[in-house]
Amino acid sequence: MSAAKHDVIVVGAGHNGLVTAAYLAKAGHKVLVLERAEVPGGQLAARRLWPEVEAPVLHPSGQLRPDIVRDLDLDRHGLRTAATNGGAYVSLLPDGGSLRLTTDAGDAGTIESIGRMSARDAARWPEFVAFMNGAAAFLDAAYRTPMPRLLRSELVREGLPLASLLLRLRRLGREDMFRVMRSLSMSAREFTEEWFESEPLRAAIGALAIHGVTLGAYSAGTGFTLIHNWLNRGGLAHRPSTGGASLTDALVAAVSAGGGELRTSCAVERILVDKQQVQGVRVAGGEEIAASLVVSAADPRTTLLGLVGAPELPPEFVWQAQSIRMRGTVAKVHLLTDGRHGLPEGTLVVAPTLKYLEQAYDASKYGEISERPYLEVTTAGPVVSVHYEFASFALRKGDWQDERATLETRAIDMLASFAPTLRDSIRGVQSITPLDLEQDWGLAQGDLNHGQPILDQIFFMRPLPGWSDHRTPVEGLYLCGSGVHGGGGISGASGRNAARVMLKGGGR
Amino acid sequence: MSAGRYDAIVIGAGHNGLIAAAYLARAGRKVLVLERREVVGGAAVTEEIFPGYRFTEFSYVVSLLRPEIIRDLELPKHGLKILPLPSTVTPLDNGDYLAAWDDHDLTRRELYRHSPRDAEAADEYSRVMARAAKAIKPILGLVPPDPSSLSWRDLRGLLKLGQYGASLSEREIYRIAKLVTQSAADLLDEWFELDPLKGTKSASGIIGTFLGPRSPGTAYVLLHHYMGEIDGAFRAWGFAKNGTGGVTAAIASSARALGVEIRTGAAVDHVVVRNGRACGVALENGDDFEAQVVMSAADPKRTFLQFVDRRHLPGEFVTAIERFRVRGSSGKVNIALSELPQFTCLPGEGPLHRGAISISPSIDYIERAYDQAKYGQFSSQPYIDMIIPSMIDRDMAPPGHHVASCFVQYAPYDIEGGWDDAKREAFGETVIATLERYAPNIRRAIVGKQVITPQDIERIAGITGGNIFHGELLLHQLFFLRPAPQWADFRTPLPGYYFGASGAHPGGGVMGAAGKLAAHEILKDWR
Repeated sequence: MSAAKHDVIVVGAGHNGLVTAAYLAKAGHKVLVLERAEVPGGQLAARRLWPEVEAPVLHPSGQLRPDIVRDLDLDRHGLRTAATNGGAYVSLLPDGGSLRLTTDAGDAGTIESIGRMSARDAARWPEFVAFMNGAAAFLDAAYRTPMPRLLRSELVREGLPLASLLLRLRRLGREDMFRVMRSLSMSAREFTEEWFESEPLRAAIGALAIHGVTLGAYSAGTGFTLIHNWLNRGGLAHRPSTGGASLTDALVAAVSAGGGELRTSCAVERILVDKQQVQGVRVAGGEEIAASLVVSAADPRTTLLGLVGAPELPPEFVWQAQSIRMRGTVAKVHLLTDGRHGLPEGTLVVAPTLKYLEQAYDASKYGEISERPYLEVTTAGPVVSVHYEFASFALRKGDWQDERATLETRAIDMLASFAPTLRDSIRGVQSITPLDLEQDWGLAQGDLNHGQPILDQIFFMRPLPGWSDHRTPVEGLYLCGSGVHGGGGISGASGRNAARVMLKGGGR
Repeated sequence: MSAGRYDAIVIGAGHNGLIAAAYLARAGRKVLVLERREVVGGAAVTEEIFPGYRFTEFSYVVSLLRPEIIRDLELPKHGLKILPLPSTVTPLDNGDYLAAWDDHDLTRRELYRHSPRDAEAADEYSRVMARAAKAIKPILGLVPPDPSSLSWRDLRGLLKLGQYGASLSEREIYRIAKLVTQSAADLLDEWFELDPLKGTKSASGIIGTFLGPRSPGTAYVLLHHYMGEIDGAFRAWGFAKNGTGGVTAAIASSARALGVEIRTGAAVDHVVVRNGRACGVALENGDDFEAQVVMSAADPKRTFLQFVDRRHLPGEFVTAIERFRVRGSSGKVNIALSELPQFTCLPGEGPLHRGAISISPSIDYIERAYDQAKYGQFSSQPYIDMIIPSMIDRDMAPPGHHVASCFVQYAPYDIEGGWDDAKREAFGETVIATLERYAPNIRRAIVGKQVITPQDIERIAGITGGNIFHGELLLHQLFFLRPAPQWADFRTPLPGYYFGASGAHPGGGVMGAAGKLAAHEILKDWR
């Protein structure tokens, strides 16, 4: 084993891994980040779909929490962040019209667009946005709050941040407090029905609720996912690009500035454990690297069952880890066009009614691909990027090799029904199926969230009940990816929290 | 001119109303119960719809009736007798079946022939679930505190809740937290592999809800199966002599013995309010009665939006009640039979006839049934839970003949186009056709049938929306949010007016907890 040049190894250079690495490096640790792909970034990696164009492959936008940007001096490394989200969220309607929404306070265009459907809804819109922002702020605070173990002995010590979080909830005022509590378990359908009468408006909001998760608009828990997605997006639409350095580049620069080292094309094959204590890692090729601390940004199941291995873990823990619900149902279809696709700018959605969204979701329960999918579409120059739900990872009939064409056809057919010039403008098609996400991007079952953010896999139950504090049964091994409390979506919260836990040190 | 003066008036002689009345009388109060129908029992009634054939019309099994209520009201003395349902048999499409018997070893062997793995897992599963049920049971007897209030009573309630939480082990807390948020399907997939086993177990997670087994929040109701107690022992389900009408008859008898006056055919029109206080009720026929306290045992919508003028209630509260979800999703088909249904999977008269027969071959089967209901249709391949009361209680049908009680999901209250006679008939036919696949002789054995849709439940039993629990058991409609935030303690914004039925904590099922808790809160407030 090579001499311990580093005291911390970070497995995976996704944004959470890089955030953790940067925090630890800044605090004086000698950090080594190991990334199996050729380029860093994880789900934000700057892979090229076509050599001549630059376009986001998996996520059209993503912004780190402001305190992370501040703590790591990321603007010094070229990152430009937007304070508010002025992006347009456009719901393409079957009659050829559209509903255009922004979450900028007082945007007259939005009020007018809603007003064409319902004056009552237009009047309620500002109140709705204010409530959502408040709920998102509360959730943000919750994601900053370490979840205590519920051991009576530790509850007093570790329970203080939680107590202050609950007080913060109470300070929202009685009405909003109950509203937030009820929203968490409600379905998006119930939630939007309580606010608005216009079905396209309800569905446009419902679409954000189910975006990236395997739930339907009628499912309990989509009130929570709506607030969660709103928090990470900063509203409804994807934030328009600010220019400047990419998030990944800025983070890599921050890691280097702190003296950390990044190695790409270096896949970790095993996390080495002896007597329940981490020893280091072994990478592809056989090299073993020692470290007293290892933190993994890979999903919890891959980390614990794949890299550590069941023999090194308590049996009940293994059973629970196997039960983590990874349920990828997102596929991406990218279209290279000649520029004449005819689609407006902004974040476009195909989500005409809540029933439509629910019917799309049904396919995911039976191992199918939605015939009439929920789509979210963004454009970057000539590239039209389609987010497709629902595409089951485990198909009951056929496999993804055969069904890729089905996916692409359905995506193009559906989108073309809204944009008559699209079909002729297409010069190339590239799709990413849930299987691709697992095989090429390292995501178990193609789950972009590293574990579904369903009600029984959030907060103190994420990734496992009692293990939401980034620790594992292996001394010195931590988890910092999306699959832990605070994660899911692009925010860096999990990475930051993991670093904090590691810097505080101490055992369980 | 007042027709009578009482200490307390209870609106509705369903099981909760009767229990509340009995407890109030037991404490020395003069109580009047007013029931709209000519019979008492609410949705726990047994009626002779066809001469000679008694149907346990709506509710049909018992298990959750609180033991302390049975004891306090001396219900066995008043005729309550519960006989255990010894089995659940799930017929399979290949002619085989999967059974769960009350004999542990028999069940284990039965499971073993289908899946050794599941046979091994079943014992541990039962242990885990029984432990969780035991841990959660005390909540059923708690008055939910208002977390937004700083009143002494609510703070004490929160403290009690905290003490209860502290009494649980860390593992139990996680187990409960998982159970109230998971889907029944996810929970069962963790333990078992057999489709009919999972299907049958998941069914108890969706009873009376507008959810499917894959919906988050359905694992909790699986616990109910482990909360039942008969004769002090943890049992699944039982059948009361004379059907659940026998239960309410015993409660009514006990109430009368305690001095409660019960008037049937006495539909309440509204609660009389004077000086901002409830002081009696007025009937539809014009009679009015005075009382110091009025308690409604009707559903929340009727209680707050019909019996009381809105101006007596805060706007926020009215909105919350209007939003309270009460969509019924269950139907019932009661059948009078000239012979016993012969199940091809287990021919001949046998133990299966004395238990429940469950049409639930897989989780997918039930989920697809739910999908149809989501879009406003009744399920073309419904989940059916059938028992044959006449096999347990011979008095339910003429000699040699039988009655079958079939609980069905899903039949949505707001079916597309609305329920009418043709749709009701089609729904009934769907149920018969489904049963026929497993018991081919059933059709020719039909002497008569009663098909009950959620709309019928609303019309006959007086439950708005036809939801058997008076309100869906959704997380945001439970505990301190049931029926509305800040008003989960059986009191209402109208002084002197109380609420104690299934639309309050702890929810539906023939438990009686709401009635008992409400009575105690009333007595606590008594001046």
